[in-house]
Amino acid sequence: MLLEIKDLAVRYGGAEVLRGVSVEVEEGSVVTLLGGNGAGKSTTLRAITGLVPIASGEIWFDGRRIDGLAPQKIVELGVRHVLEGRALFPYMTVLENLKVGAYLQKDRGKTAQMLKDIFVHFPRLEERQGQQARTLSGGEQQMLTIARALVGGPRLLLLDEPSLGLAPLLIREISKIVRNIHERGVTVLLVEQNTRLALDVADRCYVLETGNIVACGLTQELIESDLVRKAYLGA
Amino acid sequence: MDITGQDVAQSIINGLCMGGTYILIGLGLTLILGIMNILQFAHGEVYMIGAFTVYLLSVLNGVNLYVAVVISMITTAILGLILERVLLRPLKGQFLSYVCVTTGLSLILQTTIMLTFSKGTKQLPSLYKGSFEIAGAYVSRERVVAIVIALLLTLILYTFLKRTKYGLAMTASAQNREGALMQGINPNLMSAMVVAIGSALAAVGGALGGSIFNLDPYMGGLAFMKGITLIVIGGLGSIPGAVVGGLLLGVAESLLALFFGAQMGIILPLVLVIAFLIFRPRGLFGHD
Ligand SMILES: Nc1ncnc2c1ncn2[C@@H]1O[C@H](COP(=O)(O)OP(=O)(O)OP(=O)(O)O)[C@@H](O)[C@H]1O
Ligand SMILES: [Mg+2]
Repeated sequence: MLLEIKDLAVRYGGAEVLRGVSVEVEEGSVVTLLGGNGAGKSTTLRAITGLVPIASGEIWFDGRRIDGLAPQKIVELGVRHVLEGRALFPYMTVLENLKVGAYLQKDRGKTAQMLKDIFVHFPRLEERQGQQARTLSGGEQQMLTIARALVGGPRLLLLDEPSLGLAPLLIREISKIVRNIHERGVTVLLVEQNTRLALDVADRCYVLETGNIVACGLTQELIESDLVRKAYLGA
Repeated sequence: MDITGQDVAQSIINGLCMGGTYILIGLGLTLILGIMNILQFAHGEVYMIGAFTVYLLSVLNGVNLYVAVVISMITTAILGLILERVLLRPLKGQFLSYVCVTTGLSLILQTTIMLTFSKGTKQLPSLYKGSFEIAGAYVSRERVVAIVIALLLTLILYTFLKRTKYGLAMTASAQNREGALMQGINPNLMSAMVVAIGSALAAVGGALGGSIFNLDPYMGGLAFMKGITLIVIGGLGSIPGAVVGGLLLGVAESLLALFFGAQMGIILPLVLVIAFLIFRPRGLFGHD
């Protein structure tokens, strides 16, 4: 397993927002974490990258225990987290945002190559490389935040609701991008409320409800199960 | 009492020169505030210690003035690093203890310097001797040198922030803390860097200030106030804002003092701060 979360609990103040959450992500797969508002999806991702302290449980990445490590150390190991709300550097240009994404890359030549490569996949960003990030459209901002994570050359990419606030056409674009990322050998853990997008790209699927995993399995199995159909596909 | 064109020109040059020292102290404050989200209340004392270090080296020990300034930059940067590590970082987020500790630190630093150095007026030697004439006004060369040094250092800082990897990382950390963290940027490294750089710049500010007026252990308090004024005028985190704000403040103060007496020059910053906070809270160049 590339990522293994064992029996994770997280508390905010007194409130336990995650309890007994276990998730496994196999190298090379796309796994999705579904759930409604406030289910604890973002919290799960934030626990992985060390942005929230965990109350109990363990998190393992590539055979190393990572809970308790500083966030930047976890990123150094090859985990990239595209945060909910994008977290761009609004007054920096597109190119500068991408350069910061390559902060950990010591080899300048490789950084240049990586940027070229990214621009091939995101031509829109190349056109707008000199523009401040805050002036991009919502869809472009989402592309930029994903591109910024990819420039870092992650082994595991955590995506927190990339479809949020995007028009259906752009959501399809996002699912294309996720598949593309997967084909490049990057493992993806995708958090979504947009069930169709998630089920469209994922091999495996977990369903989170008020801090508990209530269902998990192969995407195909879950689509056929009543639970997910009723709760998330509105059928 | 007649005010001549010569007086006005002189006053503008002096104002620009003061503006230069304000810029150097304000840059550190604004960058530290941007990246660490704290106001460095002891920054004025860092500036004062920078000036006294130059005095100690150049006046008391005969070291070349420019060499003394460079040594002062280095030692002040190291002082900044220690401050960051033992006080600022551990107290981040604990507002009340932070304010108490840094305010106390200011007092300790002031008293230490007061007790260490003998009484009597202390001045730094001229940065550059002689004067020259522009449009009938005599301008001392050292004032011009001071302005040039301040602007040059600002330009270097600006280029560093815009063009280098660590500079971009610092800018990024100021714009989105978590976003920066998720690119693998170590926030502690950023805090250490920003405090070291800000302190070194303040030291140069102290040296330039010391070429205009006498040194005293309490000079940091006023300088700190000017630094804050400049952030409010220029806009938080903006380097062009700090430059324009600093020069504007320096010249306005100096001219007001010339025409209406020194009291006006002292009141002005307060009036400006209030006016900006009411009518343009983001300052001249700040965002949001
Ligand atoms: N910083 C915080 N302090 C206190 N409670 C929090 C904090 N962040 C999240 N919570 C609470 O934890 C619960 C889970 O939040 P989380 O953000 O993980 O949900 P989510 O599944 O990502 O929801 P959404 O789809 O709306 O983004 C919610 O009830 C939320 O109110
Ligand atoms: Mg969320």
